[in-house]
Amino acid sequence: MAVIGVGRFIQQRQDFEDAIARSYQVEIGARTRLAEGIGSEVARKAIATQADRRDELRERISDDTRDTAILVAAGLIAGLTGALLLFSGLIASMRRPLEELVDAAGRLAAGDRRARVEIGGLSETAALGAAFNEMADELEREASKRDQLDRLKDEFVLTASHELRSPLTSVQGFAELLMLERDSLTQKQVETVQIILDNCRHLVRLLNDLLDLARSDAGRLSIQAQPTELAPLIDDTVRTMRAQTEPAHQVLNERIDPDLPLVNVEPGRIRQILVNLLTNAHEYCPEGASIAMTARAEGDEVVLAVIDDGPGIPETQLEQIFERFTRGDAGLTQRVGGTGLGLAISKSLVELHGGRIEVDSTVGQGSTFSVRLPVAAAADAGGQRRATAEAS
Amino acid sequence: MARVLVADDSETILLLMRTRLELAGHEVETAADGQEVTELVRESEPDLLLLDAMMPRKSGLDALRELRAAGVAVPVLIVSAHQDAGDADSPTDLEISGYVNKPIDFDRLLEEIAALTRS
Repeated sequence: MAVIGVGRFIQQRQDFEDAIARSYQVEIGARTRLAEGIGSEVARKAIATQADRRDELRERISDDTRDTAILVAAGLIAGLTGALLLFSGLIASMRRPLEELVDAAGRLAAGDRRARVEIGGLSETAALGAAFNEMADELEREASKRDQLDRLKDEFVLTASHELRSPLTSVQGFAELLMLERDSLTQKQVETVQIILDNCRHLVRLLNDLLDLARSDAGRLSIQAQPTELAPLIDDTVRTMRAQTEPAHQVLNERIDPDLPLVNVEPGRIRQILVNLLTNAHEYCPEGASIAMTARAEGDEVVLAVIDDGPGIPETQLEQIFERFTRGDAGLTQRVGGTGLGLAISKSLVELHGGRIEVDSTVGQGSTFSVRLPVAAAADAGGQRRATAEAS
Repeated sequence: MARVLVADDSETILLLMRTRLELAGHEVETAADGQEVTELVRESEPDLLLLDAMMPRKSGLDALRELRAAGVAVPVLIVSAHQDAGDADSPTDLEISGYVNKPIDFDRLLEEIAALTRS
């Protein structure tokens, strides 16, 4: 409307300007005639009329200009208001779908594989919703494929471990039978049987470790924690380990702080961790090395440490030492019978107990592996102390 | 010394068990599946059962369930190739005296047999 108004205004203004121009020509003609003395009365009158006529025309131009400006302004205001209304309508119609998308994306990210959106309305937001749903479908397909593969892997490890155990039982059992009659065997034969037995034990350890790892991956490695006094457990573990360290002339000492607070742990698992750490120290250290098992309270933690004065671990290996199938140089040269899984499992186990495992090592000086376990809550510890007191 | 009935589907394992247990002075009978177990228990009334948990035809646990239902109270050790035998989902209603993991720690097994059959 405003455009038409402005167009008409321009046309009219042109007409008025033309009229003014013509009026000047009429006046000039009249003045020429006046100067030449032709019809002077009529010419004088014409000159006076033309001036009035031009004033009138100019006034009309000015009026039209004002009217048009008002028209344009009104048009603009109406247009802007309309646009604003349209825009806010658009925003309102986009806001709900967008909120739904944000919500669904959040749920999807948090692991809800069934998170989908239902968006109709504007074709753009509907297309966005459809694209989101398609993406979520694809993610769900991928995830279920991965789950299935994981299940197959767990099943495989479980079955393999189970199927290997029976023949291993026979091999180990019959080798032990031979050892029962070692007096009638030659020295060479005894050594041979001992090698069979050592390797059986190694295989069993490997199978147990693989099972633990498969369980850990499947989130099925669990602990049954109970308030536990660590000193007897450490003492017993160290005593068992001496059967391995003494033949290698390694000194295995223990330093346990008296009044060690109780920790909330599964004793068997803590023993497994300590055996792993002590076995590593024993296997990676040369004959005659010193190994120390220490336990102390530090703040609201109990710190168990296995300290050796062995070859140490190069810095480049320290970063990945808790990753599975990582073995030290000695392990790689086959002198050491480890599986490369012990530390990875120990780390999982320590973390299941709410603790941390750390390593500190200097090449040529030795290594320290520390396990930090949270002290049992006061209520549990109290209960345990009472129970112990009543029992004794 | 005790009379022990050992059940396993592997002949090699049975030979191993028989040899080790006889060396320790026990009297050993063997069964290859659960069906034989139920028959032999009625015939020879052993002092102890050593049952493999997984056997073809009738498993050790199925045989035990049948025996317990028939009122047989003989002590039982379950031999299992699963590392976690005796964990959460083991049956609690069959009066199982203990679990033995494969590979078998015979020193421990012989101690347990002695403890369970000491009368």
